[in-house]
Amino acid sequence: MTVRAKPTTPRRKRRSSGSKLSLWLPLLDTLAMLAWGVLLLKYWLTGKINVLLHPDYVWLAYSAGFFLVGVALLKGLQLPLRFRRVRTPSGDLASPQHFSIFPPGWSSALLLIVALFGLQFTPRPFASQVALARGVTDSLTMTRSQPQSFRASTSPDQRSLVEWVRTLNVYPEPDAYTGQPANVEGFVIHSDETPANYIIISRFVITCCAADVYPVGIPVKLPEGDRSDYPADMWLRVEGEMMTETLGGKRQLVIQAKTLEEIPEPDTPYDF
Amino acid sequence: MNQVNNALTLFFSLLVEAMPFLLLGVLFSSILLLFVDERKLIAAVPRNPLIAAFAGSLIGCFFPVCECGNVPVARRLIVQGAPPSMAIGFLLAAPTVNPIVFWATWTAFRDQPEVVFLRIGFSLFIASIVGWVFSTQADLRPLMQPNVARVMPAPRSNGAIDSKAANLDDSASTLLQSGTFLLGQSGQPLRLDGNPTQMATLAANPVLSRPLSERLHMMLDNIVQELRELGGILVIGTAIASLIQVAVPREMILGLGQNTVTSILAMMVLACIVSICSTVDSFFALSFASTFTTGSLLAFLVFGPMIDLKNIALLLSVFRGRAIVYLFVLAGQLTFLLTLIVNLYVS
Repeated sequence: MTVRAKPTTPRRKRRSSGSKLSLWLPLLDTLAMLAWGVLLLKYWLTGKINVLLHPDYVWLAYSAGFFLVGVALLKGLQLPLRFRRVRTPSGDLASPQHFSIFPPGWSSALLLIVALFGLQFTPRPFASQVALARGVTDSLTMTRSQPQSFRASTSPDQRSLVEWVRTLNVYPEPDAYTGQPANVEGFVIHSDETPANYIIISRFVITCCAADVYPVGIPVKLPEGDRSDYPADMWLRVEGEMMTETLGGKRQLVIQAKTLEEIPEPDTPYDF
Repeated sequence: MNQVNNALTLFFSLLVEAMPFLLLGVLFSSILLLFVDERKLIAAVPRNPLIAAFAGSLIGCFFPVCECGNVPVARRLIVQGAPPSMAIGFLLAAPTVNPIVFWATWTAFRDQPEVVFLRIGFSLFIASIVGWVFSTQADLRPLMQPNVARVMPAPRSNGAIDSKAANLDDSASTLLQSGTFLLGQSGQPLRLDGNPTQMATLAANPVLSRPLSERLHMMLDNIVQELRELGGILVIGTAIASLIQVAVPREMILGLGQNTVTSILAMMVLACIVSICSTVDSFFALSFASTFTTGSLLAFLVFGPMIDLKNIALLLSVFRGRAIVYLFVLAGQLTFLLTLIVNLYVS
């Protein structure tokens, strides 16, 4: 037997390395597509997609997930066919001419690795550190997206933090709101620009995806003690009354807190 | 650690948002490349070079392909005798002026609709002007790679080309059938080394003669192939964007991004390097929206799909280096000028 195998070994070896590649590459493609499909569906099913996307576009992500799984299944069904075809090389399918930038297998491997990593990785919503880096404001500046809707009819105690900021944006005189009740939710930021008995209650606003979230916030004057009782990133519901104060040389709207209550981090961490 | 987590969240956020649009682009380009005969389009193109360039720019509406898909289509257009202005117009505008890119840009910039419309408008304008400039060169052949030039029909005196004659040549060519054999090596780029059989396959959309079931099969292969290729570039581009957001000091980004002129130049350079696909580049730009001027974002969105590193490799399969330099300089200058006007007078 060994005697018969010997003379054919070199040729078989050369051919098998070529056919091995042509078998491995489709398998790699299939796995990469499958992993991406599963990743998109996983983020959707675990609700983590809310950390990544504006709710309006979630359907796009899971549709893409289903589609990718479908493509992977179809491609997977072809694999045994391809195996047969490799043995009879003339039967291989034609495909339109294509230029590739990566060496064969590289981009599929990259996609697969990133997707597998994504399956391990739990995205965390941005917190106070990013907010401070991006600059918390009580206004929506020119480079930022403009308010899409303005619900003036909302009564003050019904307004969310973002609605307060939008209201302020339209009519920025803080005195106009003095005495109005406030009942807002958000996370805590400690800013160097405010004294120790102030925190900033803040929310991120999302337009499309986490790349464009920007923070808005309103300073809160604590009823007693200092901000060390309320560590950064803690989620709070603040009830109180609006007033005007000068902080950091700027007259602005401040919430005089009456009660501060810790709340769990919401499922949709960004407002819109 | 927190920084790493933020960068990764940003990275996956951009990828998850971009993936559906990339899929859609790939899907459409696969369908169209395998089912549409662009020769019918050429026959309908007007003779006036400026209008032809404009018409070419608008063809992207029917061929929603990004720059990787449109170079092969543009090459087929040229070889089949499309007027130069139309082919160049198509080459530059098609990646931007198409419904999928419009939708993706709208998704990213719906709060700044001016970005969406100016992107389309500028791309159309630049593509038409550059196409028009190229039409003064009635015979494009000296600007093309020799193997493409050899199969191009000679232009008629008015610069338009006898496409009927070219069509007749194609259909009469028995070499077209045998061309399928060479394309049978899947995954291999078509080498234009002067082999007459291969040159014949350049001329027509070679897959239109196949039966439907086989075309569907090829469509699936094409989807996977493009998705893999463009997905790889998307991953790298997204990684660069996330890294810049997190690693580069904010003061530096702001200093660069808030200046009227440097912001545009920085974004054009970035567009060239990152080579991100036009269906998803708006999400990349979005991550710079709060720090960079509107004009610079537009420069990124207009210039990137026309010329970038990835694209140059593709363009070199059609044009000589000289022609690519012309394209680069013309498109670059026009983009800079228009977006500078936006920065100075609009935003």
